[in-house]
This record gives sequence, C-alpha cells and structure tokens, in this order.
Amino acid sequence: MKHRITLAVLTGVLFLSHSAHARVKLVALPERARVVVSLNNPDATLVEEERLITLQKGVNKVDFSWRGVNIDATSIQVRPLTHPDNVVVLNTSYPPNENALIWEMSSSSAQEERVRISYLLSGLGRDIAYKAVAEPDEKTMTLRNYLRLRNDSGEDLTEAEIRIGYGANFKKTIAHEEVLEMLSERIDGLPIKKILTWDAATLPWDPEYEKKTVGIPLSYVIKNDKASKLGAHTLLPGKVRIFIKTKEQAEKEGEKAGEGVAFTGEDWATLTPADRELKLYIGQSRDVKVTQRKTKDDKTNIRRNSGNTIVLHDTDEIYKIEVENFKKTPVDLVIVEHIPGYWKMVEHSHAAQFKKKDAFTFEYNLTLPAESSGNRKTTVTFNINRINVQGNEPASY
Amino acid sequence: MKNDLTEGSQVGGWESEQMRKQRRVSRIHLPNCSPAHLLICMLAVLLFWVASPAHARINVVTLPGRDSVQLTIYNSVDLTLVKESRFLTFRKGLNRLEFSWANTLIDPTSVEFRALTHGDEVEVLDVSFPPRVANTLEWRINSEFAGEVQVEIRYFTSGINWSADYVAEANKIENLMHLAGHVRVNNHSGEDYENAQVRLVVGMVRLVEEIAALARAGRPGPLTQLPAPAAMPEASAKLALYQEVDRLQERAKDAPRQVIKEGLSEYFLYTVEGRDTIPNGWSKRMPSFKAQEVPIVSYYKHERERYGDKVIRHYRFKNDKESKLGTEPLPDGAVKAFRFETDDRLYAFVGRTSVKYIPLNEQVELELGNDLEVMVKPVLTNWIKTDIQFDNNGNVKGWTTREAWEFELQNSKDIDVVLDIRRNFSGDWSISTQAQHENVDANKVKFVAPLKAREKQKFSYQLTIRHGTNATR
Repeated sequence: MKHRITLAVLTGVLFLSHSAHARVKLVALPERARVVVSLNNPDATLVEEERLITLQKGVNKVDFSWRGVNIDATSIQVRPLTHPDNVVVLNTSYPPNENALIWEMSSSSAQEERVRISYLLSGLGRDIAYKAVAEPDEKTMTLRNYLRLRNDSGEDLTEAEIRIGYGANFKKTIAHEEVLEMLSERIDGLPIKKILTWDAATLPWDPEYEKKTVGIPLSYVIKNDKASKLGAHTLLPGKVRIFIKTKEQAEKEGEKAGEGVAFTGEDWATLTPADRELKLYIGQSRDVKVTQRKTKDDKTNIRRNSGNTIVLHDTDEIYKIEVENFKKTPVDLVIVEHIPGYWKMVEHSHAAQFKKKDAFTFEYNLTLPAESSGNRKTTVTFNINRINVQGNEPASY
Repeated sequence: MKNDLTEGSQVGGWESEQMRKQRRVSRIHLPNCSPAHLLICMLAVLLFWVASPAHARINVVTLPGRDSVQLTIYNSVDLTLVKESRFLTFRKGLNRLEFSWANTLIDPTSVEFRALTHGDEVEVLDVSFPPRVANTLEWRINSEFAGEVQVEIRYFTSGINWSADYVAEANKIENLMHLAGHVRVNNHSGEDYENAQVRLVVGMVRLVEEIAALARAGRPGPLTQLPAPAAMPEASAKLALYQEVDRLQERAKDAPRQVIKEGLSEYFLYTVEGRDTIPNGWSKRMPSFKAQEVPIVSYYKHERERYGDKVIRHYRFKNDKESKLGTEPLPDGAVKAFRFETDDRLYAFVGRTSVKYIPLNEQVELELGNDLEVMVKPVLTNWIKTDIQFDNNGNVKGWTTREAWEFELQNSKDIDVVLDIRRNFSGDWSISTQAQHENVDANKVKFVAPLKAREKQKFSYQLTIRHGTNATR
C-alpha cells in the first residue's frame, strides 16, 4: 500500500439515505505537495502535509480518510495557505464507523488552493544513539550522534522534511516498517575524563572477604559545553556504545599494523543540558583495590532517661580507606561516602580532595599514582562525629 | 429522515379495542414509515351511527413532515431537549394524535404537545400510553377550530451530546496565541435530525433519573433500583428552564445568523449559526469562536509532590477583554497547543490537555506536559539537629532541625520563561531566604523566577522545623 491517507474533493453529493448513510464519493485525488514531520515533542509526532486542491465557488466538500494508519482523529486540522482570507472551513463532519472526515470549505471563487493538513500520527518515532571511539590514551574521543527514525505508522513518507527540534531540517524518504539511521553530529577530539567510582553504599568494604575480585565502576565523563565542542543543545537520552582504538597485528612481518577498535562498554546517556556533565558507566576496573574499615565507632555524650535507656548520643567514628593501584598508569578515583543526619568532620587526611556533594554525601577525588600498591598504597582517613543521634534522622531527601 | 403523519377521522370520542388493533395494523403498513424513526399519526376515525367495531372506517392520510426542529443539547448530562413544530389539520371536536418513537432514545415522560396557533381553541384532554404497545402515546385533543394549526412537540432524548475543543497556536516566542474554539455534536440517538437549529447549553443540570433509562422503559412508570425523585423542585426548575429557553427562542428568531451566546440563570446557551443536519451516527464539529493574539505567559511549574522531578509547561492567559477574550465563559474541553516554528507557520506540537470550565475574567493555565528544556535541581546542602530539650524523665521532648537548600535553575530554551517552584512543609516551620517568595498557604511556599533565554540561576533558603515541645504552633 503506497498511500493510506487520502484526500479527496467531493465533486459529487453526499448521499444520505434514510436507513443507511452510504457515502458515495466522486473524487479528485490531489497528490501531496509537501510533507513535514516534526519529532521535537517526545510524546507525539506531528505530520503536516500540503496538497493542492481545486475548489469551486461556494461550498466544497473535502474528504480526508485513512486506513491502516493510526491518526488521532481529534487532532486533524486544515489550514488554507494560498487564500487564507477567502477560503473558510465551515465545519467538519465525522461519518460513523469510518476513519474519515469531511470538511465543508467555502471559497469566494473557483480557485486552486494549497492546504496544509496537520495531525498527530502514531508509530513514527525517533531514538538517539551515540557511538564513541576513544583514543588509546583515553583522553579524547570521537563522538557520533545518530538519529534513528522508526516508521511503523503504516504510511510511506516520501521526501519528507524532518524536524527534530534542533539542528537543520533534512529531507528523507522512509517507507512503512523502515528504520532509518542518520548521522546527525560528529565531534572529534572531545575531551573525556576517565574516573573510577567507589561508593561506600554499594561496594563491599573488605575485598578480602569476597570470593571474586571486586570490580570498581569505570566511567567516562564528558561535558556538554563549548570547550568540548558541544553545548549548542541539550544532549538527549539514548544508548552510548563506546569503543577504544587498538593496534592490530600486522598481517606479515615488516608490514605496518592497521588500526582497529575494541568495544569497552555501553550505557544510557541521561538528558544533559548545556554546561552539565554526562557520566557514562561503561565497565569495571579490577586493577584498583579499595578497602574501607571503621577503626573507631564510639558513642559519646550519652544521655539516658530515668529508665536508663539511651535517648540521645553523639558518635566518634574514624574510617580508614586503603587504596591500591596495580596499573602502570595513574588513575582518578572518586570515593563516595554517605553520612545521613547531623554530622561534623573532625579531621581528615585529604582535605584538599574533599568535596561535600550534599548534606548527606561527600567525596574524595583522588589521583592514584601508577603502581601504588603495597607500601606505596594511598591511605585516606577521616574522623567524623554524628551529633544528637536519636534514630529518627532522614537517610535521604 | 422521514416523518409521517397519518390522519383519519372519527365522529364521537369512543374507540373500541378492535378499532385500535385495526388502526395499528394500518399504521404498520404505511408507506415510508420506518420502524426506526419517529412517527406521528393523526387518527380521526369516523365512527358510524351503529357503534359496532366491525363498521369502523379508518382513514389514513400522510401529512408533511416537520417544519422545523431545534436541538438544545446539554454537556453535563446525557440530555437533549428536542423541539419540533409542524402543521396539522384539525377537525372540530375530538382529534386523536398518536406519537411513536421506536428505536430511539426518547424519554416518554417528557413528551409534550402544544398548539402554537389557535392555542385557545385547541386543548389536550389527556394523553394515553396504550397497553402492550411500546414507545407510543396518544393525545386526545379537543379542537374548537377546523383547519391547519401549527403545533409544537417537545421531548427529551438521550444519545446526543456535545463537547467543546480548542486549538491554541502560540507564536515563536510564546507570548501570544490564537485561540480557536469549536463545538462538536455527536448524534447516537437513533434519530436523524435534518436541518436542525442547534443550541448548546453550558452548565450543570441535575437529573434524578437518567434519560436513557427512562427511554429504555418505553412508557412512564417507576424505574427499578432508582430512588423516588424529589419531584417538585426539579420539575419546576425544568419548567423554568423551558420557559427561559422559549423566551430566548422567540428572540432568536429575528437574530441574524451568528453564534448567539447568552447567559441564562446558571447556564450559558450557545445557538450555533445556521442550521445543521446531523444524521444518526454522525458527528459534526463547528467553529465557535476565534480570538487572535491573546497574551500568554510561558509558565513552568515544579512541585515535587505534584509532578515529581519534572518541570511542567503551562500557557497562562485570562478570559477577559484585555486578552481579546472575555465575551463568554469557555466550556470545559480538550485543548491542542501548537507553536509556529517557522516563518511559513509550520507547527511544532506543544502538547494536549483539557481545560476546566473557565468563567469570565478567570485566569487559566493550560497544562501542556513535561518540558525537558527547563531544569530544576534541588540540593539539600546541609542538615543539622539542635536545641534538644528533655523532660523530667530524661526523654527528649523537643528538638529543632535546620536544612539548607540550594536550587539550580536552567533554561535551555531560546525564549524567556517564568518558573514557579513550590515547596511543601509541615509542622512548626519557618524559612529564611534572600529569594523572592510568597506563602501560598500555611504549608506551601512559592518561588517565582523569570528566566531569560539560556539563563541559569540559583537560589537558596534555610528551613527551620521545631519538633516536639520546641514547636510553638
């Protein structure tokens, strides 16, 4: 089926018989002159098509019908473009049990009119997919942003102008059930920050007690800003697949080795407005080991009621985090700690690397030297007091 | 649609069961009588001097159909008042008029007759719902006048409804919109209404029994499982509405063909321009009004308890004269909002929503869904507990918490917006902040921040909550 949406100017009459309203259509079918598909609203796809119709002087009936496509019938609108002041849509009739409607249009003279018909169409969607290839040093990458159009609308779209809400519009032909993927942006030399994140709330504190080596989540962080050759628009959610360039083995001895890529992982990109960071969790590192222990956990300043039950106390807690990097290169590691309630930092070893994220969360942003294990390991200690602990403190907000 | 009037004549006022049967047989065989439609038969059966059923003569004449029909459709209940007028030829003395409505949804208790001409000379004696015949009634009418009389028949039907819908077209920078209102009439009543004047009532009327249920019953009588109606006030209210509707109808006769919008009591009546034919099963949508360049504010709201973490876009406008509106209340209905994206007025779809009934001079907000391009990020930056109080038993009886909050706001759009952030608190709370704010109620605070295109802002506040005996309110 080529076109399932039809527009007809009814040059015949509309027969309304007494018992059954059989509609007899004597039609002139105008072709589409233009199709515009607007995908900028994630909730609905708007299609606008323009057709040239020939109107008689007086009242004309124009029939718009569809089958096999899912159009929101309440969304259909027609706008005269050539003579908007002389062509008036009088009313719209909806016949029973039909995917059709009939406009009564009055025209001040016999004339050709270009009309624009707008409607919301289901089954036409878009996805964003990203592909990134990191340089072997993991300092920069090439990011490609693809737009993937899915047409399950039932309608073939020929030479449709496609608008996605940013960037230039483009023309494409996309058949029913076709998926069309297009490169919409390519950024070379996009700076990336590679970081490992050890979160005290989700990872085991003592790897010695684990049966398997604890992997520490590895992320690439990019910033949607001008310095990164981005920042022109919000980065939309979509899957990011990340590869890294590799050297291939030469085919024969003495020949130059080619370049290839290896897949390093994928993540869902979240919506990222301009000047904000996008963190992509792509895999785990097992060459960094983090051991956290609580070396002091005292209740202090205890207050009891007359029944000798503790009703309020403070704490004195010391934490020791030992970090070993077995890699031959330095690596950035973020240690995330969660201390809900009212607390104060008494002292800590890495004040310069400390950053309070919110009331109940802080981080140490460490750069671990290459091969810093054994005696050369990094040790972070911090001493906190929780204050006025009752047990009714919020754990999150 | 066909409406058939059949007429016979009768001398005297008495009719036997045999005659009734014979009459009905005659009616069934009438040409052009469809069982699915309204039928009116004028029965003037000539009775011979010998009052024997066998000698009754039935005279059947097909008379012209409706001369006009008017539909007054309600949107709050499934109710349409149908008023039709036609010319009937009466004889002096007793006339019988039969009205039947097979396969329609007419409330038999609502059917009324009155003579528009010669009203003093034409009198309804009684109305009978004959036994064992559904959807039929018969008026016995005494006429002092012989000749043509214009009569009006009025009844309620269910199965016709109407709804309003709107199309909002905002300009590129979303500070003005065109607003077009439409009304859509759906006819599932079983009856075709040709060349009808359509009037629409905006307002809430009370019905104690559903018209559809009364229609199903086919004849007056108690409906099962329904409470007895509180008859009098409702009946008189209906009557008052009838009378008011009549009065307006008289006035509308001379009015030019336009959409007349008039308030009546607690209702608003739209009389749609011209006449329309709405066959059974069909719907028809007609323009109701068009307002150009209505000022709007792109108003964004964030309230965690209501919308989660999302920011919801609204178009805010006022139904008043300054906003090129304000001539009528706007009935509740669906709204589709678009924005002109290009110079040749291609659309971007903004969102769809529904609006509540909008009285005159009321401010309206069209809720148009989440907009990803406006961000609100609240962060609790500090939390402390202090001022601990103990009772005589050493238990904690009072304490105070202090929260520091910072809000990051970001407008990624190329147009200016206004952001409305609401925070809900409970207990004995107080806030201190440099930011402009307003107490919406005892436990809700509103921060309104206008953001220019691509602008980022921050604001913060300190929240203190006094618990236990520390609370003073």
